[in-house]
Order: sequence, then C-alpha cells, then structure tokens
Amino acid sequence: MDTFVQLTLNGLTLGSVYALIALGYSLVYGILKLLNFAHGDVFMVGSFIGFGVLQLLGGATDPVLPLWPLLIVITVSAMAGCAVLGVVIERFAYRPLRDAPRIAPLISALGVSFFLAYSMQVLFGAEQRDYDAFSLDNGKLFLSGFDIGNVRVPLLRIVIIVAAFLLMIVLWLLVTRTRTGKAMKATSYDREAAAMMGIDIDRVIVVAFVLGSALAGAAGVLFALRAPTFPAIGFLAGLKGFTAAVIGGIGSVPGAMAGGLILGFAEAYTQGYISTKWSDLLVFVILIGFMIFRPQGLFGRPDIKKV
Amino acid sequence: MKRRLAVLAALSTLVVAALASTAGTGTAATDASQAVSCSKRLKVAMITPVTGGGGFIGQEQVTWAKFAVKNLAKKTYGLNVQLVVGDTPVEKGPGEALVVAQKFIADQSVVAIIGPATSGGVASASQALAAAGLAHISPSATRTSLTKGSKLEATKFFFRVVPGDYIQGPTDANYMVDKLKADKVVLVDFQEPYSVGLADAAEAVLKRKGVSTTRLSTSVNTTDFSSLVTRVPSDADVVFFPTQQPADAQTFGTQMREQGKRAVMFGGDGANSPSAFKIPGSYVSNFAPDISGIPTSRALIAGWQKDNPSLKLGSFGPPSYLAVQVALNAIKRACTAGKGQIKDRKDVFRNVKRIRVNPSILGGTFRFSTKSNDPLNAKFYIFQIQSDGSYKLVS
Repeated sequence: MDTFVQLTLNGLTLGSVYALIALGYSLVYGILKLLNFAHGDVFMVGSFIGFGVLQLLGGATDPVLPLWPLLIVITVSAMAGCAVLGVVIERFAYRPLRDAPRIAPLISALGVSFFLAYSMQVLFGAEQRDYDAFSLDNGKLFLSGFDIGNVRVPLLRIVIIVAAFLLMIVLWLLVTRTRTGKAMKATSYDREAAAMMGIDIDRVIVVAFVLGSALAGAAGVLFALRAPTFPAIGFLAGLKGFTAAVIGGIGSVPGAMAGGLILGFAEAYTQGYISTKWSDLLVFVILIGFMIFRPQGLFGRPDIKKV
Repeated sequence: MKRRLAVLAALSTLVVAALASTAGTGTAATDASQAVSCSKRLKVAMITPVTGGGGFIGQEQVTWAKFAVKNLAKKTYGLNVQLVVGDTPVEKGPGEALVVAQKFIADQSVVAIIGPATSGGVASASQALAAAGLAHISPSATRTSLTKGSKLEATKFFFRVVPGDYIQGPTDANYMVDKLKADKVVLVDFQEPYSVGLADAAEAVLKRKGVSTTRLSTSVNTTDFSSLVTRVPSDADVVFFPTQQPADAQTFGTQMREQGKRAVMFGGDGANSPSAFKIPGSYVSNFAPDISGIPTSRALIAGWQKDNPSLKLGSFGPPSYLAVQVALNAIKRACTAGKGQIKDRKDVFRNVKRIRVNPSILGGTFRFSTKSNDPLNAKFYIFQIQSDGSYKLVS
C-alpha cells in the first residue's frame, strides 16, 4: 500500500508538470492548428531562467530573500521571460508562415527547437544545472511535510502540485470567463469568422503564446526544483507534453490537464510495478495507441468535415 | 560514330583518373606518415570533454597536461612540444572523438594523442588513430573491453595509465562488503556501456559474496528518479550508482532522503565531482589517489598550483600528467632512434610500451603490463564525502 501511495504521489508530481507543458501545446494548437515543437525548449529556457535568478539572489545556500518570496520571484521571472520568448518565437518564426502550407511552420518549429537547445548549450554549456533546493532553508522543502501512512509527502511536492493546479485553474477561468478567453475560443472554432466578427486574431494568437509559454516557464522551475536541468532536456519534456496533449485531446484545456496526469501516473506505476527500463517506451506506445484508436483524445472532438 | 567513341573514351579516362587520384589522396591522408624533424615544434594532441556535463574532467586534465608539457618537454627531454586540445562534450556522443581525431590525424606534426578521455571515445576513434599510426594514451578511459576480453573495442595503439573497470567494480563491491558490511545492495545502471559494465562487474562480486542485490535500470536522459527511489527497499544498505553525471548522483541521494530511505550512496569515478555530488557519508571511487599524500609528488603539486592558483587539486588531473610524461618519453626515444627525426608516427607507438616512470606522480613505479596495454599493478581508490563536501581518501 505504501508503495502505491508513494508512486501515486510521484505520478501526481510529474503529471502536474506534464500537464502545464501540455496546456501550452493545446492552447497554440487550438488556435493556430500548429504543433509548436519548440515548446519543450521554452520549458528548458524557463528552468534556466529560474536557475539564473536563483544564483543572482545568492543561490540556494545563501539566498538574499526568505524561502517563499524567493520561490515566487524565480517562478514569476521564468514565466515572464518565457512569455517574452513565446512572443518573439511567434513573431519571427510562425507569423511570416501563417498562410504557408502547414508543413512550413512545423519545420520552422523544429528549427526553433534546435536553435534554442543549441544556443543555450553554446551560451551556458551542456552540463546539468542543479537548483540545490535541498539547501534552501536547511532542507525544509524536502524534510518537512505530512505523512500518509508510512509515506512522507514533502513540502516541495505540495508546492509543485498546488502551484501547478492553481495555474491550471487560473488558465481555465481565463479561457472560460473572460472576453479574451471567449475570443480565443471563437478563433479556435473558425479563425476567419472570428476575424469578421471584429476579433483581433493577431492579438489572440499572441495571448495564446504568452499564456502557453508562461506556463512552460513555470513548469521548468517546478521541475528543476526537484531534478537537474540541461539544454537538451526540452526535447524529451516537449515530447511528453505533446503526448499528454494528444491523450487529453489536443486543443482541449481540460484534456491537457487530464492527459498530463494520466501520463505522470502511467510513468510512475510502470517504473514502480513493471520495470524502470520501460517507462519512456510506454509513453510513446501510449502516444501511438491514441493516434491509431482515438486520435481526438479523451476530451477532443472528432474532426468531422462536411462533404 | 568514331568521334563519339573517342569523346566517350576520353571522358571515361578522365573519370577513372579523377577517381584514382581521389582514392590516392584519401589513402595518403589517413595512412601515410611523413617524417617530421624533432628540432621543429611537435604537437601532442589531447582529446577530452572540456565543455558539457563532463567538462569538469577535461578542464582538470588539460591543466595537468599543459603543466606536464611545460615542466618536462624542454627541460627533461629537450623537445619543442605544443599541446593542442580537441573538445568532445559527452552530450555529442562518443562519435565526436572520431571527428576530433580525424582533424589531428591530418596534422602531420601531431605525433601522439592523450586520450580520448572517455571509453566510448576510445572505442569510436581507436581504429582511425591506429590506421594513422598514432599511439593514444588515455588518462581516464576505464571500460574493461578496451583492453581485455574476446571482443576488443580498441586497437593495440591504445594505452591507458589508469586501471580498467574490471578492477573498479570488484574494488567497490569488496569495500561495500568488507568495510560497509552491506547485506543488501541496489545497483542502478543507465543503459549505456560504462554504467552497465561497471554495475555488472560489481554485481558479480557481490553475488559471489552472498550479498542480496536488486538491479534497477533507467534511461540516460532521466533526471527525476522518484519512482526508482521508491523501488529501493527500505532496508537496503547501499545504492551503487555508476553515473557519468555527478548531479544525477546528488539528485538520487536527495530524493532518497526525501522518501526516508537510509541507504548509503556509492558512485563510481563518473560521480567523482566535489562541486556536484556532495551528500555527506556517500562514497565515490576513482582511478587515481589523492596525490597530496605522496612525498615525491609534492613539488609537482606546488608547480601546478602556481600555474593554477584558483583551482583545487582533484584526482582526474594527475593521470594526465603521467600520460603526457609517457608520450614525451616515447617521442624522445623515437627521435633518438631516428637521428633527429620521427620517420613514422608508429616509431612513437613502438616505444610507448617500453616506458617506465619512476617515481610516478601517482606513486611508485609506473610501467605497462606485459599482457595488455594497462598499467601494471594499478588499483582504484575510494573516497568518502565529508560533512563539508570534501572528499577524503578512505581506501
């Protein structure tokens, strides 16, 4: 039972991060019908921004801010930095190709992905960067928390899960309860009709990139608080986020959340009960399975065309 | 018709001639070795990761190799030698060593290679270096199959001044059993040759000694080990973690504490980095000792420290000094035999095996085994991480 609880906790932590990444994929795909393969690298850049800000603020061993303001500052900085990066990517890599055949922005996305990964490698080196979060406040984030049976739920896990869910709820409210959200929804249904109704399509697309990239930045920091980051990490993280988005139904916000959590649980239970070797393989088996048997995902709508 | 045939024949001749000349050029570029004068500047090339995740190894090695050239080339051997460095970040894969090696092969003034630093790099580049007659002496490649076994991954032109994993694995395993009194050991590998080989070597000894073992395996891209840690039994005594990324060892150890697991972390030489892996009470092994305790090496340490005042003495660097010393010695012998010139790079290679260094910077006398191109009587050393993060030699 303890193992099950621990693995569930592992899955929930990992799944929360995947869900944040998947939301970015879904937002952009929903509006532009573009698979933004650079999204995983935006996640990586976010983790690096968080690392840089943490070092500027004295590092984990001697920070100039108390624990909670410090965590907020590094997370918000990463979100802001990634939001700007998202706007730049949209403006220079995707907007000029908006009316080009669909393969063109896809290739451009792959190019941006490699550009970001290798630029970071050239600028900062390929080595792993460790936030050393264990040193923050004498290990408080790892050693304090509460117990479920014999399983400790550390404070850091609670922070990651709560922060991720808060961000998802904020996004959900933004998409469903605001004029901008309604404009995004309208654009995702029919871009041309939305434009004719007076919606500023360019602005809506930029907002989607800002939101998606900011969430990726937050995911980067939340992930890197527990595990080292490095320039090449974005590729696999991006693929997992993409898989989560496909599971949930790409374009669907609740689907992305559910897909991320399902993927996190699948990975954790596979590692815990079947084999540690097969977890990455399983992710892609799930992806292929959904593409073949339920391409619209769990929450997506089948793409039915009137003939 | 005749005219057409003539044109066709002329064209065919031209194509054949062009192909023949191309083939000739290729052969010359890889195989032929021109004589070089020993009075001119010779080059010793180093192949090691200076950037990337393994950059801390290469940077330390380069400082010691430079110091060796400065300290020995002119004064001891009367040679004018320049050290050139080729960077092979581990993230680019082992094939990068071959790319760098080709560049050095094309430069006729390169007469010996220090490295490749990683075992994968050696396996990748050894054939090409051997075809060019270049002896390559590694200060850190420890994979067993480079020099031993039925399927050798390196050529006879490969030498190393440090022992192989066939010594590291058993050394670590014996320490776990004899000193740490371990009854249950978890071994984690990363599905790549270094990690799997080392875990296999340690596991074989542990099983032979009646220790209960659990083997876990994960991808080299994994950085969150939560679910692996969940599989570590609560009563496990030791987790053997042969990674090439020291930050991974730190993360695994931290996540073990997070889940309340008490097992002692034990890393191989790849985890040996005081700046990245610093969990007190953990262990790492390495192919070189802490040379600060060797009386005959003190002057060398002082000289190196003078050139590198901001650096701390580590254990990856000194074997590079020894590797350069062996190379310079072999070059000198080749120059003497060739009456002031090295007629063929193989002349340097032929002398490497005969080199004997006494005293060696690593302590005692260094010479190669007669059975392989490994050092004779070499051993691995074990360090314990102290509460201040420093590494203390314990075995």
